[in-house]
Amino acid sequence: MGFRMDVERFDELLTELQKNYRIYAPVLLKGKGRYSETDTIRYAEINSIKDVVFDKKSVFSPKEVILPITQTLFYFTEDNVIEPKVDEKNILIFLRSCDIHAVKRLDEIYLRNRFADSYYAALRTKVKFVLMECEKSFENCFCVSMGSNRTDEYDLFVRLEDGKVYVESKNETFDGLFKDEENAEVSPKFVLENETVVKIPENLDQRVFKSKMWDEYDERCIACGRCNFVCGTCACFTMQDIFYKDNPNAGERRRVWASCMVDGFTDMAGGHSFRKKYGERMRFKVMHKVYDFNKRFGYHMCVGCGRCDDICPEYISFANAVNKLNDAMKEVE
Amino acid sequence: MENVYIPFSSRILEIKQHTDIDYTFKMEYRGEVKPGQFFEVSIPKYGEAPISVCEIGDGYVALTIRRVGVVTNEIHNMKVGDRLFMRGPYGNGFDIDIYKGKEIIVAAGGTGLAPVKGIVDYFASHPEEAKSFNVLMGFKSPKDILFRESIENWSKTIQTTLTVDRADEGYTGNTGLITNYVKTVEIENADEAQVIVVGPPIMMKFTVQEFINRGIKEENIWVSYERKMCCGVGKCGHCKIDDTYICLDGPVFNFTQAKHLVD
Amino acid sequence: MLDINTKQLKKNAFRITKERGKTAVRIRVPGGNMHVKFFSVIQEIAEKYGNGTVHITTRQGFEIPGIDMKNMPDINKMLQPIIDGLEINQEAPGCGYPASGTRNISACVGNAYCPYGNYNTGELAKKIEKAVFPHDRHVKIAVTGCPNDCIKARMQDFGIIGMTEPQYDPYRCVGCQACVKNCKKRATGALKFENFKVVRDHSKCIGCGECVIKCPTGAWTRSEEKYYKLVIMGRTGKKNPRIAQDFIKWADEESVIKIILNTYEYIEEYIDKEAYQGKEHIGYIVDRTGYQEFKKWALKDVNLGPKAEVAQTINW
Repeated sequence: MGFRMDVERFDELLTELQKNYRIYAPVLLKGKGRYSETDTIRYAEINSIKDVVFDKKSVFSPKEVILPITQTLFYFTEDNVIEPKVDEKNILIFLRSCDIHAVKRLDEIYLRNRFADSYYAALRTKVKFVLMECEKSFENCFCVSMGSNRTDEYDLFVRLEDGKVYVESKNETFDGLFKDEENAEVSPKFVLENETVVKIPENLDQRVFKSKMWDEYDERCIACGRCNFVCGTCACFTMQDIFYKDNPNAGERRRVWASCMVDGFTDMAGGHSFRKKYGERMRFKVMHKVYDFNKRFGYHMCVGCGRCDDICPEYISFANAVNKLNDAMKEVE
Repeated sequence: MENVYIPFSSRILEIKQHTDIDYTFKMEYRGEVKPGQFFEVSIPKYGEAPISVCEIGDGYVALTIRRVGVVTNEIHNMKVGDRLFMRGPYGNGFDIDIYKGKEIIVAAGGTGLAPVKGIVDYFASHPEEAKSFNVLMGFKSPKDILFRESIENWSKTIQTTLTVDRADEGYTGNTGLITNYVKTVEIENADEAQVIVVGPPIMMKFTVQEFINRGIKEENIWVSYERKMCCGVGKCGHCKIDDTYICLDGPVFNFTQAKHLVD
Repeated sequence: MLDINTKQLKKNAFRITKERGKTAVRIRVPGGNMHVKFFSVIQEIAEKYGNGTVHITTRQGFEIPGIDMKNMPDINKMLQPIIDGLEINQEAPGCGYPASGTRNISACVGNAYCPYGNYNTGELAKKIEKAVFPHDRHVKIAVTGCPNDCIKARMQDFGIIGMTEPQYDPYRCVGCQACVKNCKKRATGALKFENFKVVRDHSKCIGCGECVIKCPTGAWTRSEEKYYKLVIMGRTGKKNPRIAQDFIKWADEESVIKIILNTYEYIEEYIDKEAYQGKEHIGYIVDRTGYQEFKKWALKDVNLGPKAEVAQTINW
């Protein structure tokens, strides 16, 4: 079902929705960029469609809504553990096709892979997707190569055009909300080509570990982990136990995002660690995204959003690293 | 949905000190456990650590814990009757049935003896269930030797070889790397013999190679891996190697699979 | 026949040179940044009246040598588009620069494109220039974007160093400690890791913003307000060269400008009336009156913000 309405009307409906939903979208954060007087685009709660940044890619992916950066698992008292209360509201997320595909990857790890994660599940089951279309491919996007440029797994599609809001609803939950709005033909357009094209070699396997291609990253990479943190599919976390300064008997166990590029990721108590070289970490990450995740789950982890390439302060291109695998396979064959 | 991260509390039944930094804690536990499996053991406010099971008995599991970090440091301060938090058991563990009726050789380096101790215990008390059983144990120095009492008892029913890298005054036993003893261990039928190797990465690498040199088939070699783990349930990603989660698919691997696990 | 008032010549931003009858003209470029269209004027003067060369001065101006003193009026006329273009305060059009005592306000590139710059140094340099020029008192001012101090603000009477007050969102912090390690290694060790989150020691923090730059998750961001560290009384020269010391930390822009203006009054009051050519570094005046007297004059009617910290004493 498609509808057309004024921005003001849409915002009224948004307010109506807010009774039951927290609504997240990419927003512009003024002055919150890395450098002086630069802005950034991140996910935050919105109150108006005018808050949504449609024409630029968000720096961080929407994953932080479902997989919080810091998440308390439980609180300790003397000899008890108490789980934190779960927010009652449902969640609407404005996101793009690639991001919806990315959430599927998170689901694979957090809802399946032998055990289900109750914290993730608690948030995930509350989520409904509001698709944002990409008028054209952004810089560094290679969604077409990864097959994530299209989706029909959304609940609402919203387009803001010439002061009007066009909505497609695919979920009957919202039938009542839009019933009085003007009907219109609305369906999303999808990006059909990207400037960046990525080709994963068909014969890719572990032999590529021996390629010299990884060596350059020993020098180039600074192991900051930005590529992982902005990635919509990176799912790793580290556990932290803390005690409260004012009451050392109480504390909490929480988890925070982790990065396989950052020092300490493989450190074991006792001092042993693996992948000390940054090139090895690059190899581990690249292969996870375009080889071994696929081996385990049947499809590639990377969705081609290109955020890792957007963010790398050392101008390392993940997409190009994937393309280099083709020559690297020839080198080791 | 079950919350897999919530630990249960377990009472310390007994503490045995082996070395300055290695203690075994007998923990109250009822439930299915296999040798080679592990628990996530924690003291709230200090953190969690994956610890493999070294002994399984009626109403208890024993965990050998080396003092190497914040959590284990704190655990070593605990007394009998105190409580630790645990969740698990996790991992696949050793399948004893595979080894029954076979010629079995276990090679363990340092704390690597803990995860295989359950296997050795089993065959030491049921020697008739193995064609032969030989355990080779290597430690850095005499003061690092673990499970002295058990080793003493094992030697009554199965073959044991204990060696240290560096002897000190008064030590009269074997010295030298464990690989030297692999070279000379008696193997009756190399085609059938089952081998288990557990220890530090370097030790495992060379010991396995030595067994292969002795004609042991790769598919008859078993190893157990140790990696950083935060969850034990295939979520945190720290222990993943290639498409394998050590916590879910291991930590025990057949060498035909393990040889492809390149960090 | 040459009959030149050298005092006026110098005041007019020309100089006496080794070669009799030849002068050089100094072009001030506040903030050290200008449109290249003015280069053609410099080129024309150098080719037509000078010796075809131009010297880039340490204070980020240009000095065109080899000019016949008799051509000074022509030069002043030719300079007019640059003086207008760079919005230099002037008394009469066509007469060149009205003063040379207070030197060009120099600046590093600041946040125009340097990742470390904490503010727009060019803009502040121009603002200060507007406020203090023309003035005959020998005052050197430079502004720099961050404590790296690429402009050498600590060699000036007034050095202005950009600061940001890092804002920490513990929720976004993953504990990678990139900021902690970097602060220890490259700044002042103002950050420490406690209970898996980062704690900033404000007394040690120099507001360089390195933590913001290093943070991979955006847990550290910049404060909305911009802050400045004002360092004072640095100097080079024969008598007693020394580095400028911290006067005020976490100051605001308006206060900084007001303090500089106040200092001119202090100079008039206390300058050595016998000073050679009426030129005395302020630092020597402060040495005479004591820091407390200087402070009293400098802070007159200045409303520093709540975060500002004024040095109780300064030992250069």
